[in-house]
Amino acid sequence: MNLMGLQGGQYRPLSPEQVETVHEASLKILGKTGITYELGLEDTVQMLEDGGAVIDRDRRIIIFPREMIIEQVAKAPEKVVLCGQDPKNDLHLTQNRVHLGTGGAAIKILDPETGDVRSTTLKDLYDVSRLVDQLDNIHFLVRPCIPTDIDEEDYDINMFYTCLAASSKHVMSGVNDEKGLHNVIEMASLIAGGLDKLQERPFISVITSFAISPLKLCTQSTHIMQEANRNRIPVALSCAPMAGSTSPLTMAGTLAQIHAEQLAGITICQLTRAGAPLLYGGIPGMANLKTMGYSGGAVECGMMNAAIHQLSNHIKIPNYNSSGLTDSKVPDAQAGYEKAFTALLASMGGSNYIHHSAGMLESMLTIAHEQFVIDDEIIGNCCKVLKGIDCDAEHLALEVIDSVGPGGNFMTAPHTMTHMRTEYYNGNGVTDRKSRDKWEQDGSLDIRQRALKIAKKLLAGPKPSYISEEVDKAIREKFNIVL
Amino acid sequence: MNDFNEIKDTLVNLDEQRLLQLVKNALENGIPAGDILNKGLIAGMDIVGEKMENEDMFIPEVLMAAQIMGKGVEILKPLLGAEETSSRGSVLIGTVKGDLHDIGKNLVAMMMESAGLVVHNLGVDIAPEEFVRMIKEKNANILCLSALLTTTMPMMKQTIDAVVESGLRDQVKIMVGGAPVTQAFADDIGADAFASDAGSAAKGAKALIN
Repeated sequence: MNLMGLQGGQYRPLSPEQVETVHEASLKILGKTGITYELGLEDTVQMLEDGGAVIDRDRRIIIFPREMIIEQVAKAPEKVVLCGQDPKNDLHLTQNRVHLGTGGAAIKILDPETGDVRSTTLKDLYDVSRLVDQLDNIHFLVRPCIPTDIDEEDYDINMFYTCLAASSKHVMSGVNDEKGLHNVIEMASLIAGGLDKLQERPFISVITSFAISPLKLCTQSTHIMQEANRNRIPVALSCAPMAGSTSPLTMAGTLAQIHAEQLAGITICQLTRAGAPLLYGGIPGMANLKTMGYSGGAVECGMMNAAIHQLSNHIKIPNYNSSGLTDSKVPDAQAGYEKAFTALLASMGGSNYIHHSAGMLESMLTIAHEQFVIDDEIIGNCCKVLKGIDCDAEHLALEVIDSVGPGGNFMTAPHTMTHMRTEYYNGNGVTDRKSRDKWEQDGSLDIRQRALKIAKKLLAGPKPSYISEEVDKAIREKFNIVL
Repeated sequence: MNDFNEIKDTLVNLDEQRLLQLVKNALENGIPAGDILNKGLIAGMDIVGEKMENEDMFIPEVLMAAQIMGKGVEILKPLLGAEETSSRGSVLIGTVKGDLHDIGKNLVAMMMESAGLVVHNLGVDIAPEEFVRMIKEKNANILCLSALLTTTMPMMKQTIDAVVESGLRDQVKIMVGGAPVTQAFADDIGADAFASDAGSAAKGAKALIN
């Protein structure tokens, strides 16, 4: 059942008037409070000034006139296609078309053999990417974990290489610096058969956390973002404040601040290169007020991630955000409901690229093989909801009702046979609906154990590399590939 | 040998037209009807039963397979010897008194027939005395009792007790089933077997005879 890219929008937490109100509030923030910047961004600031911004270099504040924002934001493309090495995995990000996938930078994993917590390795990255490649409801691969066992300077090229070798789905990741970005673009160009081919069908993209909330430009990330713009590589403008800590405690205030940060970021990108493909990347989140740490699984996160899409949709730009997170340390019932709530709300909200939704635990710190399998099922269910209920003649089945007749049964009606594999969600097998006796016969396995079994089976299969031998050789000659 | 694999696969794939053609072809090629029945059709339904247990096939597909198989048997019937048609076992099946549910029971009956057993489906709301009478009349060696209501489960015990009282207990193997029924309950009331779905019921019945 292909459930990728269906139109969401059934859940709209903000009314049209509220969307307008927040949008205006964001323009006000940019026109009055402004954005500050770290040292080293003089070129960017000059570019903004040339574009109409008012700069106070003593206080390091950038004020954006409303006309400037409106003009620049209009140049950003309404549709961004993120490709897979295999075209069947292409993502058409636009309107309310919904896609969900993995998130990045976990540093711990629940060992699939022992269940113990340990640091993530390059092999973990490879295994998990292979797993994701085979789970149909995980639509893209944002680098799921950091290979803590290799040198930091080798991170960028090896993370991308490993993901591209293991999966033909779209690969996205952050990079450490501009050099890292150039190396990755070079490697991807080798795979694509030229930079122009890569730009035409970008099967890689980058995340830049250009904004340090509240309202500050990060030098390194902004530079990387602009370099991606110049090279026509799609970039997600990530900003992820925690309500109560780096944005106002209230949801509306957080949305307004994020939207302002996004408008500023998009303006920078479009001035750098008009028409640069980008994803509006506001991710509303919350601080856990008891610890001030990130809280990913709260139901309000799902609500806000639906609302933020209403704001990106208002300016007609496809968005990247997060949902499907949990604060649970293990794949238990809490993980189940936190992920299901937040993923469903964000999906029904119509968000285009919902990352962090597969494989993660403990907010974003930990991954587990079995969690990818469970999340594949959760995501599948969320997307199925977007399909809605068909009420055409075929589905109303009046003829069938008449021919089966009162007191009859529908079990062998041709109509039943025709629709039975498409009308209701059919998952990856992890959901158990057997009788208790059969369930006991099969070992009384709970979902975590069943999911682990499925993951093991998927990993035991053949290991194709999506990178051809010839290209692989060329890559290894140029770069220090550890895998 | 090849023919049987093709027949089995075609049945599992629910291709009615092709299956009936293969059966006719096999007869024309001089393959004994009994072999086609046992090694082709019944063997194919055994695979369907397994897939049903593993939840690889949906119930409507299983029913369709049973129907297609039935049509195949119709072609073979006139050519089957007396021994081949009858004595795999004579099964009585019914829903106990007070209970009107029959869909599951009918599914079991269909799967057992497809497995080569002769099945007498008595219907629903059958009193213990009626079961006893029919055991004698049909010379049954397997008695299958079904109940869907927790309130009618005790009637299963009453039915078994009636069989014991009538002196026929040694003649029949008794199997019970239905959503609320469990192995533990089956043991409690003195049944010989319990099955949780139609596929394993058919398998279990064959095992009871052998």
